[in-house]
Amino acid sequence: MSAADPAAPRKAARAESPLREAWVMFRRNRPAMAGLALLVLIILATLYGALLYGGDPYEIVWAPHEPPGATPEFPLGTDYLGRDIVAGLLTGGGPTLAVGAAAALLTMLIGVTIGALAGYFGGAIDNLLMRFTEFFQVLPALLFAMVLVTLFSPSLTMIAIAIGLVSWPQTARLTRAEFLKIRKLEYVTAARAIGARDGRIMWRVILPNALPPLIVSATLTIGVAILFEAGLSFLGLGDPNTMSWGLMIGANRAYILSAWWPVTFPGLAIFLTVFAVSLVGDGLNDAFNPKLRER
Amino acid sequence: MALLEIDELKVTFRTRHGPVTALDGVSLRVEAGETLGIVGESGCGKSITALSVMGLVPSPPGNIAGGAIRLAGEDLVNTSPRRLRRLRGSEIAMIFQEPMTSLNPVFTAGDQIAEAIMLHQNVSRAEALSRAVALLDRVGIPEARRRADDYPHQLSGGMRQRVMIAMAVSCQPKVLIADEPTTALDVTVQAQIFDLLNDLQRETGAAIMLITHDMGAIAEMADRVAVMYAGRVIEEGRADDILDLPKHPYTRGLIACIPNVGKGEGGEPPPLAEIPGVVPPLHLLGAGCAFRERCGSAFERCAAERPRLLGPAAHPAACHAVEEGRP
Repeated sequence: MSAADPAAPRKAARAESPLREAWVMFRRNRPAMAGLALLVLIILATLYGALLYGGDPYEIVWAPHEPPGATPEFPLGTDYLGRDIVAGLLTGGGPTLAVGAAAALLTMLIGVTIGALAGYFGGAIDNLLMRFTEFFQVLPALLFAMVLVTLFSPSLTMIAIAIGLVSWPQTARLTRAEFLKIRKLEYVTAARAIGARDGRIMWRVILPNALPPLIVSATLTIGVAILFEAGLSFLGLGDPNTMSWGLMIGANRAYILSAWWPVTFPGLAIFLTVFAVSLVGDGLNDAFNPKLRER
Repeated sequence: MALLEIDELKVTFRTRHGPVTALDGVSLRVEAGETLGIVGESGCGKSITALSVMGLVPSPPGNIAGGAIRLAGEDLVNTSPRRLRRLRGSEIAMIFQEPMTSLNPVFTAGDQIAEAIMLHQNVSRAEALSRAVALLDRVGIPEARRRADDYPHQLSGGMRQRVMIAMAVSCQPKVLIADEPTTALDVTVQAQIFDLLNDLQRETGAAIMLITHDMGAIAEMADRVAVMYAGRVIEEGRADDILDLPKHPYTRGLIACIPNVGKGEGGEPPPLAEIPGVVPPLHLLGAGCAFRERCGSAFERCAAERPRLLGPAAHPAACHAVEEGRP
């Protein structure tokens, strides 16, 4: 660790908290910073783009399958109904990102809770919780999500819940592994020796130390969740009333041979978003890994 | 009634080799203001004794199979986990061996001390933090106010151990258990830590249980000493008596192992002494004396019968050779 280097001047050594130190490392990582910039750009575009652009993504505004560049009014062309693709991209990004974030949040919530309880208490509780986790893990994820969405309404909320329910076992196992490792460390015994109770030790002592890999995994889960939502929408199981990138691809997939653009541009948007998220996740992984710090 | 009494304590562990007795009838007493040194090699039961008092023996596989631990008359073995948790940190506190790993790396030194205070006393965060700074100052950390905002990795080993001590004494415990508090530190820092512990003890009148394998530490700190081997106390007495007139061959061996830097008879420093062999695995202990394989004075009786702690009440030893007056 560079901050522990006694030769470093005192000021530089005050690199502050481990999180701050990780941020310093992250900032030096160019691909990660590029990913972060791209992600911020995409988020800004989905938040304010539709307002600035002003088009209605649901309205039929032109002839169907107008190729990109043919009409300056619709730079990326129109889809099979004659709807503006740029408007669709700008409006559809919000729900896509929201589903991704909500699903990742749910994944963390369930995964961390179950993993922490299993890893901390061990024994019978661990056994029970891990069998429960395995039950979810062996379910074919896409199929299970499809069943959930078909059984209930194909709304964005349901899709987020479905994705969360199929992806938490990974997080649970990761959290359990971290807890198993950390609970044996001396500062946990020391915390017990000053009279801290189990809950406090789990959430205030162990969890903060287990966070780095969990943050990385949460970031990557966002990317996976976005792909998942796109997949469900592509199969026609998305929310038909809310524009999303996945829905655009799903609705236009029948015409992919005659008109490539209504499918390609939302696909590119998904690719860029997941790419940006992965770069950030990878950067976080490096930033939290002390072994890579010297590079 | 002594402040802390351990009476015939028996701790067993479940292992692959079946149940193993880690502590076999250990009895110890510590008075207020007194320092009891517990010495012995790795694996002799020192740390398990400390963890038993804290109620922190990992269970399973560990289990207190018998005996009693009393703090000011209050039984600690059969008390509720809740009561035990309340006593931990406030009445009994512990300093750990590795200051490098016994502080939580993601919180500042001040935060961690404040946390310990707030667990047991109903004070505001600001008040706890200002007390933490005062404690850091008390344990000899320069610029305590600034250092309170340091994370453990920004502190040296000696400073971290001072932070641990500040944390341990934050609620003025009656009993302070120090498990090899200086093993991981520089020799020069060791002396400072001992001085600090001695000072704190004078101020608060706490009883200290010092666990160590370093006879030098015993000479520096302890009023009384208990020597442990393979889960039993094999000699006990005033520190001066044990250092000057050790009875048990094992204690004599330990004292012979203190490096002597001064000139010996030939003008050269004497060669370092050693006790041959290692502590036998606990599941292989037979009926006889656990030390007999490594002992120069062993005779037939040692293989047949386990020696009991006998002799004058002020300085008993568990050795057949001592009992029978053999050389």
